[in-house]
Amino acid sequence: MNGDEIRSFTKTALLLSALAVILCGCVSASVDEMVFNEPTEGIGDASIVILGRRHSSDYDTEPEFIECVGDHIAAKDKGIRVVGELEFLNALYPWFEPRTAPMHPRDIDRLLQQKPVADKMLELNTEYMIWIDGSTERTNSSGSLACGIGPGGGGCFGFGTWGDEANYEAVIWDFTDKVEVGRISTSASGQSYMPAIIVPIPIIAPVQGTACDGIGTQLLEFLSGKY
Amino acid sequence: MGLMITAPSDKIATATGPLKYAACATILLFLSACGTNKVIVEGDFPKPVMTPLPLNIGVWYPEEFRNHEFTEIAKTPRDSSWIVHTGNAQVEMWNVVLEGMFQNFIELKAAPGTGAINQGVDAILIPELDELQYAIPTQTHVKVYEIWMRYRFKLVDLDGEPIAQWMMTSYGKTPTVFLQSDTAAVNQAAIMALRDGGANFIRSFSRTPELREWLTSMSSRSKEMTP
Repeated sequence: MNGDEIRSFTKTALLLSALAVILCGCVSASVDEMVFNEPTEGIGDASIVILGRRHSSDYDTEPEFIECVGDHIAAKDKGIRVVGELEFLNALYPWFEPRTAPMHPRDIDRLLQQKPVADKMLELNTEYMIWIDGSTERTNSSGSLACGIGPGGGGCFGFGTWGDEANYEAVIWDFTDKVEVGRISTSASGQSYMPAIIVPIPIIAPVQGTACDGIGTQLLEFLSGKY
Repeated sequence: MGLMITAPSDKIATATGPLKYAACATILLFLSACGTNKVIVEGDFPKPVMTPLPLNIGVWYPEEFRNHEFTEIAKTPRDSSWIVHTGNAQVEMWNVVLEGMFQNFIELKAAPGTGAINQGVDAILIPELDELQYAIPTQTHVKVYEIWMRYRFKLVDLDGEPIAQWMMTSYGKTPTVFLQSDTAAVNQAAIMALRDGGANFIRSFSRTPELREWLTSMSSRSKEMTP
């Protein structure tokens, strides 16, 4: 292969890479919803907080997923103030740590009996607390990819594929009435591919992102007066 | 998915400057995979939100606790050795927790019963770290990094005579994150374990039978002293 051929090959590879950015693996998703007592005119000046459940021994609800759902809601309705997960956990340490977090809405009353906790809650003005439980798991992976480097250049060759599956459930607690007012669950799965001809071309299935959008949109419909 | 990088040694010797550096970087990358991972645990710890107990407590951190370091030597050439230094973070976290938990708290400069004047305190707490265990996804094939710790607490009077002694465990885990290093994840898991330790201590302090007795005696003593 001479210099011109290498340049032409590289151009093709770069073009394919650019195409890969546009390409995405396929994702199939479903959302189930059961809500009641929706705030028909939105939540006003109050805030919401989205927290991850972290009780299970073999998985952890990813903090970046919680952040993604919060960002989705805040971006679509600027009137909704979403308190950051870490900010909330730090502000009320140690009452929302995995070991101490309330498991039922009625447990909130027990927490509010402590004056410093009640004062802090009042300061945060949280109207809804949303607990998200779940994770994104790798279900399968196969293929092989080999990369080589030498004085004339380098490159990769091969093909890899893997599948991801996301399952999350959001439980909405009304903080004023101390009751559960809804459950939203979402599942998404998709297959990602990575062919490599000199340059690896990732065709990623946005499984977690799709689950985030699905749950975020449903929560928005519940919380926002605009949707 | 396998990844193979090949660089013929005879060609590296005649290669141009940048290629030499690239080859060296590749070799270093491979060597680093089998090296020692050192984590100096660092993080911010929030002050507990609670009504402080009406006690004057001193804390004495023994030298081993203050400089606690967990070391594990790799058993096979494929494993990595680990050094996890938790001492600084332990002292930082316990100071924040105890300061928020008791009406008056001081960190002692000398061990109890060594002739030091510790008149201002009701009792002295001495924490010890009995055991620390860690697990990373390459060992467990589970998508979380974990840290588990077992503490031994001693509460002594001003002469160093024991009032109570009890054990307590703490556990922290963090999920795998794309492009996050093992050391950063172990640090995060350690922070979670320390936070859990603080939460467990606050929750269990007045429930520990030996301490309950002492707390009752302290309470009646303060009532007697009140005119």
